[in-house]
This record gives sequence, C-alpha cells and structure tokens, in this order.
Amino acid sequence: MKKLKYFLTSALIIVLIIPAIAQEETSDTTAATLSKIMSDLEILKRIKITGYFQAQFQYADSSGMNSFGGGSFPAFTDKRISLRRGRIKSTYTSNDALTNAVFQIDATERGIVVNDVRLKFTDPWIQWFSLQAGLQDRPFGFEVTYSSSMSETPERGRMSQIIFPNERDLGAELIIQGPKTGNWNWLKVEAGIFNGSGAPSATSSAAEFDKYKDFISRITASRTTINQKYKYSIGFSYYDGGYRTDNDTSFKSGTDASGIEGFIIDKTNLKNKKVNRNYAGADMQFTFESPAGITTLRAEYIQGRQPALSSTTAFATSAPVSNVYFRKFNGAYFYFIQNIASTPLQAVIKYDWYDPNTDAKGDELGKVLTGGKVYSATDVRYDTWGFGITWLWDSNLKFMAYYDFIKNETSANLSGYTKDLKDNLFTLRIQYKF
Amino acid sequence: MKNLNRKLLIALCIFTGINSGINAQTKITIKGSDTCLPLVQKEAEKFMKSNKGQTITVIGGGSGVGIAALMDGTTDIAMSSRALKMDEKLKMQEAGKALKTAIIAYDALSVIINPANKVDNLTREQLDGIFTGKIKNWKEVGGEDMKIIVYSRETSSGTYEFFKEKVLMNKNYASDALMMPATGAIIQSISQTKGAVGYVGLAYVDASVKEIKVSFDKGKTFTPSSYENAKNKSYPIVRPLFLFYTNKAEAAAKPFIDYVLSAEGQKTVKDVGYIDVSK
Repeated sequence: MKKLKYFLTSALIIVLIIPAIAQEETSDTTAATLSKIMSDLEILKRIKITGYFQAQFQYADSSGMNSFGGGSFPAFTDKRISLRRGRIKSTYTSNDALTNAVFQIDATERGIVVNDVRLKFTDPWIQWFSLQAGLQDRPFGFEVTYSSSMSETPERGRMSQIIFPNERDLGAELIIQGPKTGNWNWLKVEAGIFNGSGAPSATSSAAEFDKYKDFISRITASRTTINQKYKYSIGFSYYDGGYRTDNDTSFKSGTDASGIEGFIIDKTNLKNKKVNRNYAGADMQFTFESPAGITTLRAEYIQGRQPALSSTTAFATSAPVSNVYFRKFNGAYFYFIQNIASTPLQAVIKYDWYDPNTDAKGDELGKVLTGGKVYSATDVRYDTWGFGITWLWDSNLKFMAYYDFIKNETSANLSGYTKDLKDNLFTLRIQYKF
Repeated sequence: MKNLNRKLLIALCIFTGINSGINAQTKITIKGSDTCLPLVQKEAEKFMKSNKGQTITVIGGGSGVGIAALMDGTTDIAMSSRALKMDEKLKMQEAGKALKTAIIAYDALSVIINPANKVDNLTREQLDGIFTGKIKNWKEVGGEDMKIIVYSRETSSGTYEFFKEKVLMNKNYASDALMMPATGAIIQSISQTKGAVGYVGLAYVDASVKEIKVSFDKGKTFTPSSYENAKNKSYPIVRPLFLFYTNKAEAAAKPFIDYVLSAEGQKTVKDVGYIDVSK
C-alpha cells in the first residue's frame, strides 16, 4: 500500500509539476521569440514593395499609324499585344515617418527603365516643410502627376505626353503642406528646380546638356464638405525654363510680304544661348455622390510658349543643331467619370485637344510663304474623344475597354492632312496592382 | 505494425473529419470602432448562443482601422461610429467594392468634466472655443480660475471625427489636447484632473465624472445627455453607429446584422446603454 502511495505521489508530481515548469520555460521562450518577431516586423513594416502590370491588346484604325496610345504602330501592323507598364516600386519610410526613399523601375518587353529614385525629408519641428530630391514627377498640372495605375483612361492626353514625356525629371523641390491633422492640410505648395531634360527612357539618357535650370511650381487646394458628399480641388501650375541651342537661327509665327502666314526668322545669333520655355496651367476636380454612384468631373487647361524643332513640338533632350521654332500652344482635357450605382463598373468620357501652334489655322497649314518656313504636320491641332468602361474586379485587378476617336485639323494645302486621318484606336487592358 | 498503421489511419480520419467539420462552420470577423465594441461583442455572444456553428470574432482599434480592414479584405464587417469619408468611398470604389450600410444604434456623446468643477452648462460655441484652444481658462465660461486641460480620442477614432464635425464645425482640436487611446482612459484621467474636460459615449458616463448640459441654440436651452433626450432628439450630440460590409460578404454578414436589428438585438442595444433604432 505504501509502495502504491509512493508511486501515486511520484506520478502526481510528474504529471502536475514537471509540465508546469516546462510550461513556464516555454512561456518565457515564447515571449522572447514573440518580442523578437514583433521587433523584426516593425523594421519590415518600414519597407513597402508595390507595383502594377498592364498588359493590353490594341486594334488600330490603320497599319503603321502614329499613336499616343502607347507608341506608334510598326509598319504593316494594326493589331498588337504589349506590356504597357511593368512597375515595381520599393519605398523605405523611417520610423518617425519624416524621411523616405523611393526606387521605382519600369520593366517591359522594351527594356528596363529607372522611373523614380528620390528621397524626401520633412522638418521634425512643425512638419510643414519637406524637401524632395532626385528623379521624380515634375510638380506641374494634375494629369502629369496622377498615377497611371489610378488613371481611368489608358493614357494621358496628347499634350501631357508631348510637353512632359515620361512625366519625370531630375531636380529638387520644396513642398509646403500642413500636417494631416492640422487645419491647413488642404493647401499644398510645391516649387522646385529641375534639369529640364526629362527622365531617361528606352531611347534617351536624359543627361543634362546645359547650365540652365527650370523652375516649376504648383499650388493646390483640396476640400471635402462636412457631410462627406462633395470633394473639390483646384490647382495652378507655372513653368519657367529653357535650354541651350547649338544653332544660330530661330523662327516664330508671322506673315510674309504678301500676308501669307507661316514661320519667319526670329533671331540669327542664338548658338550656345538659352531659348525660353514657359507654361501656365489651371486644373479642377469635383467629385460628388448620388444614387447613380460617385461622379467625378475633371478639367485642366495649359497654355504656353514652346521652343522645339520643325518636326516635333516636344522639348529637346539634347541641344538642337537645327533651327529652333517658337510656337504658342494650348490644350485641355475634360473627364466625366461615373461609377455605375453599386456595381463595380466605371464609365468614362474624355475630351481633349492639343493645339501645338495656335497661330496656325486650317488652310494656312502647308501654304508656301516667301522667305520663311511653312506650317507643317507638326502644327496640326488634334481633338480626341475617348469612351471607356472599366470593370474594377477588386483592389488588385481591373479590366478596361477604351476607344479613342481622334480628329485632326485639315488643310487643303497640307499633303496628307486634307482629310481626317485613320488613326482611331481601341485598347483592351488588364491591370494587376499589388 | 499493421495494427499500428490501422490505428494511425483511423486517428488521421478522425482528425481530418473534425477539421472539415470546423471548416464547415461560418466564421465572421468584425473589426473597428471601440465605441461599438462592447455592444457588438454582446450581440455576437447572444447570436452565437442561438446559432450553433457560427463563430464571430470582434476586434476594436477604431473606426478608421475597421474601414481600412474592410478595404484590405481582412474583415467581413467594419464597425464605425462615423459615416464613411469621401476619400474612403473613392478607395472602396477603386477596389470595386459595393458597400452596404446598416445603422444598428445611436450613441449620445456626453461632455464630461471633473466632479469638483462648478461649471454646469456650456454652449456649442463655448465647447468650440475650449476644444480648439481659444478658451484656455474655466473662468472664461463662468468657472473658477483654473487652466482647462482638453482630453480627446486619438485621430483614428470615429468619435474624434464626429465631435470635430458636429461640435467644432470641422475646426481642428487644440494643439495641446491630450489624445487618448480609449474611452476608459479619458474617464480615468478626467476623474483625477480638476481642470479636465473631454467627451465620451453616454454608456461610459459614471459617478467618477460630471456631465455638462449643452446648448446648440446659443444658450436658450441646456440639455443633459440621456436615453430619453437622445431618443426625442432634444439632445444635439447624437450619432449613428454603423456596420459596413461588402456585397461579397453579404451572405455571411446578413444573418448577424438582421439579428442585431431584431427586437431581441435592439433590446441588447438598450441594455448596453445605447439608443435603439426602433421608432
């Protein structure tokens, strides 16, 4: 009996106490491991990897047509499948959220291009002032700075693509904006100095080629009503810059002795001097909610003076060796975006125009003048109507079908532009964002 | 050995059988407002009792946290003590999520001070001045010469947003306001600090703090927060409490929401200290 008692007591000790000791040790180890995991997690939370891929099928109105819907079509080609964008972005934000660094690439079948390499520092005292430097978006206008992954249409308008190709440039900017919880967070002022030669692309290194720097600034105000039913914003942008030319001669719009419009000589001693570019723009957005769904109206107007070449109105990525042409331009776009009630469908109608030379009108294009240069295809105005529908599958995936009706200015005197070109475009796109 | 293998096989069958049984149960996660938390927890307990096989997990964190979780797909239902902001609606839209809304209760926000403070009444304009930092001493509103110490909920809280919109007319809180992570912390701090003022849900008010009567008609009438005054709309600082869910989660969420809105669920609303939605 004694033996049995001894045995039962020993068994009880083994069953109750030993597991308790073991549990205590396990609990200490678990707490330490958990603490280490939490600490590692905090560090990992500072690094964010995001990105999006856009694959698309396009059907062009004619083979080999020029297009701003993801690049011109190769000869004999009117249908294509392409990877429009393949963005991978990594962001590191410090623990106090006052500094961050961004690195973004675009990897497609055309190669790998660096899109963003920038850092941002916010003052730790009142957190109103931030300095951002590196390869970054130019702070001009709404469309240029609006992410392609968020865009309701496949591409930015023709004007944005010509005036600000690849959207980015090398520079440094000061951002003034009150903290998120402050009374003045709705107002934002950005001003910066940039190279002016744009971002690198598959065809251009975008290295600086002169001593001149461009000043870009933007002020935006954005508010939502107290009942959270209406949101509105307005913005004004200004660009003052220029670049060195390797040619003596520049042309501007004018008339010859018999009154024929075209380009006439402006200056003849320009070599190694600066040619100025100036733009100003205004934009607005208005979003409201109704039983039909959330509606957004968006508009932007830009005008300015662009020094470029006879063959293009895009800015130079190297000092021009041929004549410089000064053109006064303007352009605008209008969006109507309607989310259809509580469905995941979003409809969009967009109208935009780009007039690269507001002095060149209709039959003046291509008319030969004495002692000057004719207005050419480069000076033709384009008006584009776009209609699209997007199926927002979830926060990652969306499908977009979009059709561009493109109408060009015609002239009886300009060969190839006596009637509207066959350059409409259908795009079917799938986007995955993560 | 053969016998052992057979036993292992049987054990495996039983284990997987139990697991598949568990998986067949409906599991719902509800995340968000700390104001809604005690109510929704109670409702969930009662719902699970009468609906075997239903598992509901309720987690707090603030209205903003719940809404963000709904966008991310990490919760089935978001609890919120404020309506959705326009930016949140746009994000939901971007994610292709059609949102359903249910108002499950109303909550009166009580303005509270330390019991030693002699002030009894405050107008909306005076509250605006106090919480935005323009009024810094109790003597400016008829009290004794004593510094005002403002307590508020933190920015992710729906209560913070609602008080800012309704009482401060969207102006920002005083820069020296003390932001507290939970309602309980506000009650405790105010009960221990003579010059303190703050706001909490009616259900949280206890004898350790003193409630202020408020006026939204420039001092003509001062009303205390109470179930009756909130129900007859004579008390002005009343907000709806929401449950948000997406179309995709409707099948799982709807039975619970129907239960909360039922007579039994609304009785729980009253028992917990909130205002029921029945007329």
